[in-house]
Amino acid sequence: MLKRLLATASVATLSLVSSASAADTINILVRTGIGAAFTGVVEAYNESHENQVALTEVPFAELVQKYATAIAGGQAPDALSLDLIYTPSFAAAGQLEDLTEWAHGLPYFDALAPSHVKLGTYDGKNYGLPLSVETSVFAWNKDLYQAAGLDPEKAPANWDEIEANAEKIRALGEDTYGFYFSGGGCGGCMIFTFTPLVWAEGKDILSEDAQTATLDTPEMRAAIDKYRSMVAKDLVPESAATDNGSNFLSFTNGKIGQQSLGAFSIGTLVNDYPDLHFGVTQIPGIVSGTSSFAGGDNIVVTKGTPRLEAVKEFIEYMYSPEAQKVFATNGSLPTRSDIAADVLKGLDPRLQVAVDAIATAKTPYTVLFNDLINSSNGPWATFINAAIYGDDVDAAFSDAQAEMQSIIDNAK
Amino acid sequence: MSAVARHRRQRQKFWGGFGYHAFGIGAALFFFAPFAWTGLASLRTGSEAQQPPLPPWPTQGVSFDTYAVLDTFGAGIWQHTLNSALVALATVVLTVIVSLLAGYGFSRYRFPLKNVFFVLIIATLMIPFQSILTPLFIILAKLGLNNSLVGLVLVYVTLQLPFSVFMMRNAFDAVPREIEEAARIDGARDLKLLVRVLLPLVMPGVATVAIFAFLNSWNEFLAALILLSDNDKYTLPVLMTAVRAGRLGAINWGAVQAGVMVMTIPCLAVFLILQRYYMRGLMAGAVK
Amino acid sequence: MTSPALTLAVPARLRRRRARLGQWQGLLYIAPAMALVIVFFVIPVLFTFWMSFHDWPLLGQPEWIGLDNYVRLLTDNKFFTALKFTGYYTVITTIAIFIVAFPLAIFVEKQRRGAGLYRTVFFMPVVVGLATASLLWVWLANVDSGLIGPAIRMMGFGGKKVNLLATFDGAFWTIIVMVVWKVAGFTMIILLTGLQSIPTELNEAARIDGASRWQRFRRLTLPLMRRTIALALILSVTGSVLAFDQFYIMTSGGPQNRMISVVYYIFNQSFVSFHLGYGSALSIALLAILIVLSIVQLRLLRVGDDK
Repeated sequence: MLKRLLATASVATLSLVSSASAADTINILVRTGIGAAFTGVVEAYNESHENQVALTEVPFAELVQKYATAIAGGQAPDALSLDLIYTPSFAAAGQLEDLTEWAHGLPYFDALAPSHVKLGTYDGKNYGLPLSVETSVFAWNKDLYQAAGLDPEKAPANWDEIEANAEKIRALGEDTYGFYFSGGGCGGCMIFTFTPLVWAEGKDILSEDAQTATLDTPEMRAAIDKYRSMVAKDLVPESAATDNGSNFLSFTNGKIGQQSLGAFSIGTLVNDYPDLHFGVTQIPGIVSGTSSFAGGDNIVVTKGTPRLEAVKEFIEYMYSPEAQKVFATNGSLPTRSDIAADVLKGLDPRLQVAVDAIATAKTPYTVLFNDLINSSNGPWATFINAAIYGDDVDAAFSDAQAEMQSIIDNAK
Repeated sequence: MSAVARHRRQRQKFWGGFGYHAFGIGAALFFFAPFAWTGLASLRTGSEAQQPPLPPWPTQGVSFDTYAVLDTFGAGIWQHTLNSALVALATVVLTVIVSLLAGYGFSRYRFPLKNVFFVLIIATLMIPFQSILTPLFIILAKLGLNNSLVGLVLVYVTLQLPFSVFMMRNAFDAVPREIEEAARIDGARDLKLLVRVLLPLVMPGVATVAIFAFLNSWNEFLAALILLSDNDKYTLPVLMTAVRAGRLGAINWGAVQAGVMVMTIPCLAVFLILQRYYMRGLMAGAVK
Repeated sequence: MTSPALTLAVPARLRRRRARLGQWQGLLYIAPAMALVIVFFVIPVLFTFWMSFHDWPLLGQPEWIGLDNYVRLLTDNKFFTALKFTGYYTVITTIAIFIVAFPLAIFVEKQRRGAGLYRTVFFMPVVVGLATASLLWVWLANVDSGLIGPAIRMMGFGGKKVNLLATFDGAFWTIIVMVVWKVAGFTMIILLTGLQSIPTELNEAARIDGASRWQRFRRLTLPLMRRTIALALILSVTGSVLAFDQFYIMTSGGPQNRMISVVYYIFNQSFVSFHLGYGSALSIALLAILIVLSIVQLRLLRVGDDK
């Protein structure tokens, strides 16, 4: 009751504020460093529209806490750029505006990134729409390939090849490494770059209904062994063991031969590191095939916001060809497949690899994503560090398997 | 005393002094080196900033690149510094006033539940601040003080109270009652008595309380991050969380060094300027 | 304006009247402080207490579940692991701080040239915020861009690069060194006040009686400093039990979750797993533990009273 009382009180103050000015200012919460793609779109919107968008940046680690506290205090922003994997749990908590009717009315609704729409749907209703689309891909440094006597234009096709290449690159010098990953408790980084190794084999860490943990498979063991072996051979920088994601894009230092990274990083590499020559290909499976993680953000709207219409106007602008172009120029993939080809015309061809990855890309659907996977103290992040850097791989498997299952069971 | 004995004594004194200063300098290096290292390293050029600080001083010429990079985070250094300064200043003033009154009350008056009240204030130290964050946020929202620097200041003042009230009570306890009685007979009453007669006597305590209020409000990040929700209102420590989180998948260590310096220099300045009072006040307050 | 010499006896009648009036005046003086404490501390704590009887998700509707959270707490292995780690950390830091701070206090107490300067330098890290200090040391301990690892390599201990934060021992001791660096100066000042309150004649007399330096320290200095030591102890223990920033910033609780302190666990339960209700129950439990710890330590303090 107290909560409702607080809610009405704050709605009253909010409406007082909003009626003061004719044009609305929409508050959108985003993670710090969301990048030029989105801020560019916002700038273009603010220049051409009467309504204005104001961004509040919060470091990624504190974003969810910040938003939830703001809701509890009745001071929530109008909308939020939310990592798409959180959309189910936020929708389940009943805090998001139901956009179903309006969204289905958009002429290009069917062309919107499918995994985003799937994750944005809860109980048959739509609560989130794609804001930015990311897929994970495998990148290699062409200059280092060349220096190591490898063919710089030939993408590695499997992990044995990747390891062999890594060894040659490592031999180039003290500070040159063959491979990189964020292994210091960055669950988000590793679900993004590492699970494709087993997904390509048709295996997964969770069952289809997300009710059973299926971590311990021969494929996962093989994938872990591969990473372990590369670490043991000193092909990976020491810093990888403690990288909690802040240095995810270590590839940019030009001394790392190969790394799995996101489509978004392609934009960063192309725009900010023009001297770095790199190739991009699909992430190979541990035995065969390829796979990818479909990530990125959904835009979600806080339930009951008085500026719903303005937010809708902004979202529609976001999907306009000109805004899509701004996204793509900054390395974010087009969210509309119907105009993707147009939008990508004249841009870096490597982006096409990332767009192609969407076809095989997966995203786990679970309301427990944060608990199970993203939290740097959750079972997945702990498992990665323990299995790759620890002494007891079997224990790492059994501990993580048990812990994941208990989190799932406790939530029932 | 024979010449030999005198000679030995002198030698002993020399080696005693040598040992004393050897220890002192060694320990001082441990405490001072991180500051010196960061300060020097922050003056390196942008390209040098990612290299290990060996040697710490700039080898490619002094530059303020790292500070320029820091300025590109959030709404810029100046805006955040201004916010921090305002918050810190207001916290200092309010903390001093509130704890001065409370310290006087606890030291000089008897009233029902006095001990309960005192323990309640001290108990604020005992709960992890993270635990009451959500309720605090809701209360601030209800008071209309959400997302305002005023609300943040009030929270900071509350967090300062256990230490400050404790200090001020002890400071007043140390003032002989006779002084007060005499002043009363001279006609000084209540607030006038407190401000004109007693305040000068508890100045070291006030300085200590003020410095601690400054340091803690200047450095606090979690409450600022959660309770404020405008980029323009964020304080410096919130800017530092952004620096810490890295940008585009890489931490800029130059910005870290510059940030540490920007955070530290005002604290060191305040401390060095007021340390004479501060040490005295802290000592007087702690003996009790 | 006035001097103590003017002191005169105050008539008893006046004093009684003032006592009655004083009751209200005293309350008036502490009113602002109490208002703040009640609004921003007591009510939030009561609210937290209230929340601890609910299944209170970070988002969504709370639901009354009575004592369930407390029952869960008693069988929660992770809570006890966190408690154990916090205990271990508290003991080690407190010992480390005292081992460093005591000699420093004795050192700066000497009336020698430079003592004041040394005291100032030792105290400098105290004024830096814990979060800033943590960030500074993360940089110093960084394997590629930091100081410690590369310096070790430069001194010729070649081979692999040293990533201090990658192993439990390396990370733990880095944090201990950071905390000692940051806190020792403060403890030093508190101990210094205790040392200075010991009359020099006592020490002198003991010296003439032939007591060795160690004997004087054990039999004279330590017992007389009991209260000061207790104060320093309470501050150090309370600070360590509530430790959070250093683990959050320096190691993110790793490697392999082995550095989750109790407050970190509360933070995770509340804001990562979204179980605010359970997080509240944990907070209340922690509050109880701290109160008990403080009472035990206050007993120590009171022992010092009957000198």
